[in-house]
Amino acid sequence: MKRLLILVFTIGTLSMLNAQEPKPLSGKIKVGVDGLSCPFCAYGLEKKLKKMDGVAEIKIDVENAFTILTIKEGKSVTEEEIRKNVKDAGFTARKIEELEDEE
Amino acid sequence: MGDSDFCDRPIHFKYYDGMKRLYILFSMAFLSIGGNAQGPPIFTDTPIMLGLEGRGVRTFGNIVSKENADAYIHPVAFPYNITNKWQVGVIAPFVSRSPDGLPSRSGLGDMKVFTKYQVFQQDGKGQTFRGLIKLVETFPSGNTSETPPLGAGENQTTISFVSGYVTTKIGFYGEVGYNITGGALPDNTVYNLAVGYPLLPQTYPPKQLNLFLELLGNYVGDGVGNNLFIAPGLQYIAGRKLLFETGIQLPLDEAAPEGQQTNYIWRIGTRVLLF
Repeated sequence: MKRLLILVFTIGTLSMLNAQEPKPLSGKIKVGVDGLSCPFCAYGLEKKLKKMDGVAEIKIDVENAFTILTIKEGKSVTEEEIRKNVKDAGFTARKIEELEDEE
Repeated sequence: MGDSDFCDRPIHFKYYDGMKRLYILFSMAFLSIGGNAQGPPIFTDTPIMLGLEGRGVRTFGNIVSKENADAYIHPVAFPYNITNKWQVGVIAPFVSRSPDGLPSRSGLGDMKVFTKYQVFQQDGKGQTFRGLIKLVETFPSGNTSETPPLGAGENQTTISFVSGYVTTKIGFYGEVGYNITGGALPDNTVYNLAVGYPLLPQTYPPKQLNLFLELLGNYVGDGVGNNLFIAPGLQYIAGRKLLFETGIQLPLDEAAPEGQQTNYIWRIGTRVLLF
């Protein structure tokens, strides 16, 4: 019983630590953005994402509904930060992934 | 208030009231302004309040040609997004009116303040379906002491529901609102529909030509009747922060008496994002 309690406590603590330390993303990040239906609305998204600490460049593809963030060297952002900023800009973030190759 | 209410008044009062009434029809039907700037319809409002995020300005000129008068109305709107779902703004119109056989007058028209709040949002890939509630308060700042009047002379409160389904290929927009007027002026119901079609591929930064076809209706109570206009329009998005547009309203059905009907209303405008 004692061992079971220690196991549950350990798993719980590790889960909490994991939740508090989201995975840092760097390099080029592709963000799927739902609700992006007109190029003029995309300006708000561009402005919002540009304000994020560590973001060097933004490319928006309205036709295919995604944006690519280039992160400054030595800097990183988190998935949560990106989702929050996309939401604050009035859109819904879909899949977020690091791109391995330079585009 | 029916037309018979004017019967016992001196002739200049009859004319004055008639002009005021026409002005009300003008302002209610044709001064609807969204204050948005993301490639929305030219006359109908849009539920998408993006693009501005901070501060912007929208301005346009309405050249109104009627059988018995000409007018030029030039509103300037300053919208401000408090959040991405909540916008407030102010509209200040310059009005110039030239009735046949009477001297022209020009000056500040009726000022408006508005607020919009988005009530639903359903996003998909390359598409969005949104709706908002809009409240507009019009103040009688336009001078009405001389003929022709530059304002309605009464407070007005309009509550509207604005909705739209917009994709990268096509956009459908609708607006229905009820305008409560002060004094003896009749209340009226505004109903607008619009379809927008982009002529060029969607790119960013934008270079886009949008084609619009809109139906603009206004049913005025107290037996005055219905006004319905069809409005084709063209919009050019020149970049991230700049848009030019033009559209013309042509009457399909109009409640104004013979001799006072509208020939056309031509709008030329621009929208600029300041920050």
